[in-house]
Amino acid sequence: MNDPVRIQTEDFSQDLEIEALKASSQRIGGIASFLGCARDFSEGRDVSEISFEAYGSMALAEMNKLRIEAIERFSLLDARIVHRVATVKAGDNIVLIVAGAEHRAAAFDACRWMIDELKQRVPIWKKEITPQGEAWVTPHP
Amino acid sequence: MIRVLFFGPVADRVQTREMQFDYTSGMTLHDIIHKVGTQHPGAISIVSFIAVNQVQVRDKQMSLNDNDEIALMAKFSGG
Repeated sequence: MNDPVRIQTEDFSQDLEIEALKASSQRIGGIASFLGCARDFSEGRDVSEISFEAYGSMALAEMNKLRIEAIERFSLLDARIVHRVATVKAGDNIVLIVAGAEHRAAAFDACRWMIDELKQRVPIWKKEITPQGEAWVTPHP
Repeated sequence: MIRVLFFGPVADRVQTREMQFDYTSGMTLHDIIHKVGTQHPGAISIVSFIAVNQVQVRDKQMSLNDNDEIALMAKFSGG
């Protein structure tokens, strides 16, 4: 929980992650978060479950690099990235990004940048399980 | 020994998560890709990213060292 960058099977708590971020600096004036969660519908099909797979060691290293880059690029005071690698159902949490800055603009910008970069750079794959069968997801822009 | 790792959609097409090849002096990344591609052309066709020792590389002529770990990966879809 104390590690600001994690890959884990179990669910996470937004409240606890934000609490941990706030504890890192009292200079934080704005916190933005992105929560990615599982949908029950994709590309015209019902989705019953989504299964994730990662190149764990490289994914964690990339996520750590991403956090450090975001802190430098947007002058953040802290940031946290948590991604689940498990089989999840509709509504379940998948990924949480939290960015803390002195002011809101940097927090919003950094949060958007981190999730966009994560999708491009972090070796994680998702497979949608539908009543018609299973299919690996083609990345969305 | 060179270890080649597969994940997600590439692993499904190769039907294994790991292959091993004997290391020979002067071996390049291209040599390994060619070996895998000859056996599994359908898997190589969806490889978009390659990592050597967990660092993404683009130069397929890169020389390899004994005990290198290579990952042949499809486009990422996390998040």
